[in-house]
Amino acid sequence: MNSRPVKIALRGLIKSFGEKHVLRDLDLDIFEGESVAVIGASGTGKSVLLKNIVGILTPDSGSIKIDGEEVAGLAGNARDRVNRKLGMLFQGSALFDSLPLWENVGFGLMSAHGISRADARVAAIERLRQVGLDADSADRFPADISAGAQKRVGLARAIATEPEILFFDEPTTGIDPIMGDVIDNLIVKSVKELGATALTITHDMESARRIADRVALIHEGKIAWIGDVGKIDTSGNEIVDQFIHGRVEGPMSASLLGTPAA
Amino acid sequence: MNFVAAIGRVFLSFLASTGRLAMFAGVSVSHIFRPPFYPRLLLRQIIEIGYYSLPVIGLTAVFTGMVLALQSYTGFARFNAEGAVATVVVLSITRELAPVLTGLMVAGRIGAAMAAEIGTMRVTEQIDALSTLATNPYKYLIAPRLLAGLIMLPCCVLIADIIGVYGGYLVAVHKLDFNPAVYLKNSWQFLELIDVISGLVKAGVFGFLIALMGCYHGFYSKGGAQGVGSATTNAVVSASILILGCNYLITEAFFSQ
Ligand SMILES: Nc1ncnc2c1ncn2[C@@H]1O[C@H](COP(=O)(O)OP(=O)(O)OP(=O)(O)O)[C@@H](O)[C@H]1O
Ligand SMILES: [Mg+2]
Repeated sequence: MNSRPVKIALRGLIKSFGEKHVLRDLDLDIFEGESVAVIGASGTGKSVLLKNIVGILTPDSGSIKIDGEEVAGLAGNARDRVNRKLGMLFQGSALFDSLPLWENVGFGLMSAHGISRADARVAAIERLRQVGLDADSADRFPADISAGAQKRVGLARAIATEPEILFFDEPTTGIDPIMGDVIDNLIVKSVKELGATALTITHDMESARRIADRVALIHEGKIAWIGDVGKIDTSGNEIVDQFIHGRVEGPMSASLLGTPAA
Repeated sequence: MNFVAAIGRVFLSFLASTGRLAMFAGVSVSHIFRPPFYPRLLLRQIIEIGYYSLPVIGLTAVFTGMVLALQSYTGFARFNAEGAVATVVVLSITRELAPVLTGLMVAGRIGAAMAAEIGTMRVTEQIDALSTLATNPYKYLIAPRLLAGLIMLPCCVLIADIIGVYGGYLVAVHKLDFNPAVYLKNSWQFLELIDVISGLVKAGVFGFLIALMGCYHGFYSKGGAQGVGSATTNAVVSASILILGCNYLITEAFFSQ
């Protein structure tokens, strides 16, 4: 694994919102072609981590390198050039509600890759089919479909341009177990067949075991543990054990329940 | 001491938001001229601003022209100057009333809609999604709206000019028993090109400002439905005040010797 080049390198990442210190000196390396699952309690900054990498948020300090290029603080055309390499599924789907589903999915193809509307529509319908939506749904609007279906359209949009790096923010949350399986398989397939590098945030340990090569746990703004997915049950790390067994008692609870409400 | 600090803080935050607005406007305008362009989006905004505003603008203009003819007639009759009604109507409409009232009506209609749409896109992370799809939100969302406002408001005002003058004509001829031919001749006689042009220049500026305020407040809205609501209010109020202020400045630039 470690013989592969590093695709994403995070060093000393710090991000605060006012008094709230979310990321506190976070380091993480993600190798080319691997699939990493990020787990951690709610509100520990998993989504903030992703948003820093894709440039929606700018870290207060620290370095973010993609393919060896420093991307923290990039803006404008330079950021667009980097972002052409990646696809992201948002936790809240973030579909464009003024566009029909097929235009949502084909958006990146048309807007950033110069593909014609007719071709993009064909490609988009194929992607929709992969996430379990039939061709009839292509002309419907995001507001007319269920939240679970929106999530799947968001996933189709993220993988439509076959990017090198995929970010999934809770891809299976709010989705029934059968469709969850389909989505896990789709993520595995994108990584295995396209050779993409994937970073997936999840609360679902079953899903993490299926899709990930390695698992990283965020706690108090740092990576508290990272290791191969097979070693997660024997990590010897109290926080990991508490998380995967869903216990109320443990080191995680202290920081979650112990901090007074702001 | 506290008092001075409070004033200083207000002043600093005013400077900061002015600077942010200027940056926003500068970046957005620069994207109007740089490819890729989105003609489909521009067309959609042109239709939204130009075509769908026509009923509102037409009604505003026709009633304004009508009441203007009636008011100036009853006023001017006191010193036997009824003959000036046609001229007063045409000059007031083209120079002032058509651009300002059209601007205010469109600010209510379009400024609010833009702030609500872009604000909702902001709080539902659609704008963030745009940038992850390697699409510049300034280019995709803001530039077409600014350009459409700049182009379409003069068109709307030209139509409002015609409808407003026609409203005055209707009242003058059918209610006040003016001779149609004489009324029309009086309308034309003292009208100069600069009267119409100044109105259209105002309209272009107003259209740009309306779109800018709608986009700016939407773009920086935060905090869910409530945030979008106040962005909408701020967009309409700030656009209206800017319209009235700029109206004076442009009038002075054109007509004060
Ligand atoms: N734009 C923002 N402004 C202020 N605070 C923010 C912002 N974004 C996130 N936060 C704060 O940062 C913290 C981490 O948020 P984040 O969304 O990353 O959590 P998460 O780990 O993704 O949680 P979940 O599993 O519930 O999605 C939260 O306390 C949140 O309130
Ligand atoms: Mg999250």
